[in-house]
Amino acid sequence: MKRVLLLICSVLSVGLLAALIPYSSSQLQPSIASVPQPIAVDPFVLRGLQNQYKGLKKQLSQFIPHQPYILVDTARNHLYVKRSQEIVLDAIASTGSGVVLDKPGEGNTQWVFDTPRGEFSVQSKLTHPAWVKPDWAFIEEGLLVPKNPADRVEQGVLGDYALGFGKGYFIHGTLYTRLLGKNVTHGCIRLNDDDLKSVYQLARVGTPIMIF
Amino acid sequence: MPVSIIFAAVLLLAVPGWAAEGDVFSDLDMNNPSALQEASRVLEEELKLAARPQTYLLVDLASGAIQIKARGVDLHRLPIAAWTATGLPRLSGTFRLTTRPSVIRRKIDPSATTEQEPISLSDMPTEYRLSFTPAMTIDVESSTEEGAMGWIRATSQKAWKQLRAWRQRLAGVPSSGEAPMISLTLSSEQAQSLAWSTVDGMPVVIRRPSEP
Repeated sequence: MKRVLLLICSVLSVGLLAALIPYSSSQLQPSIASVPQPIAVDPFVLRGLQNQYKGLKKQLSQFIPHQPYILVDTARNHLYVKRSQEIVLDAIASTGSGVVLDKPGEGNTQWVFDTPRGEFSVQSKLTHPAWVKPDWAFIEEGLLVPKNPADRVEQGVLGDYALGFGKGYFIHGTLYTRLLGKNVTHGCIRLNDDDLKSVYQLARVGTPIMIF
Repeated sequence: MPVSIIFAAVLLLAVPGWAAEGDVFSDLDMNNPSALQEASRVLEEELKLAARPQTYLLVDLASGAIQIKARGVDLHRLPIAAWTATGLPRLSGTFRLTTRPSVIRRKIDPSATTEQEPISLSDMPTEYRLSFTPAMTIDVESSTEEGAMGWIRATSQKAWKQLRAWRQRLAGVPSSGEAPMISLTLSSEQAQSLAWSTVDGMPVVIRRPSEP
């Protein structure tokens, strides 16, 4: 019994020691903070490194949009309009539900109702948009897809404005304002009427939309 | 209109409208040559990534945060509670995400009367592995306990992993190709946020800590 206990203790001790071997955050802090070592640095070399860093930082800053840009947090369903670091507008949104729908007659293919992540830009600005219902809008309700294109058009469900950002995705209004703040859409980004109007006024064609 | 005002206006228009640079690395010691070199290396990688319309991750081990970025803009920041790493010298360059945690998506049944529950942040895993090319892995763990219990749990997990690695090495089992590996401990919500925000092929840059 004693031997077993001794063995367990030894294994645990070795394990604890071993845990400290890989480079870690907890190991790093004391080594930097508590053991300052005087290092002779050539001031000329140091200045060169500082200038290189500052130059690169400046180069990177040139990519930062200096006009307002749209930021969408799909996890928390928020849309922000930002100018540099300043938040110009903070709006509760609805983004993609992430659910899937089988495409009938196409084997194992599916529609995935996600809001795409990445960087996009405003490609179109519409007033009083009509919704041209895609196939999935009928199929998910168990309806037949109409043959006449006019039967796909629905007025008044997208609000007063819509901002397209490619592949059929839009920032638009909603009749279901009680669902704002939830992941319920087919990939578009919904806002209430007032926020939608503000976004429409602040954004131009080409305004970056960053979605994560 | 006075000529000086016109001249000033022309000058203002001619100067590129840089957004506020902000603190790229607010923790950076400008008198530490190795820290400056590492920060410059990361900025050089970021310059390549920020030039394209995409989101990317900066895993900043030096300041203890993961940043979701696009165009050099810090979109969202996830604090790292603790980390360990092996193969730090090889964690340079840009890595691309090849494997991320899978999510069980609910399927719409057109014949059903009830709507499918959407996917939300709480559906995301809290413990998972992200794999990259060139070969590198990031293991994400969540910590719910704080204080002494949290420390004991984290340390015993680290010890167990190290013991397992030693056992494999002694048994001649090839480890995962000696590829660099980072183990991150995040809060549950931050771990889920990271899983939510990752997309296939997402570029990742690591900023390593440096000795004074």
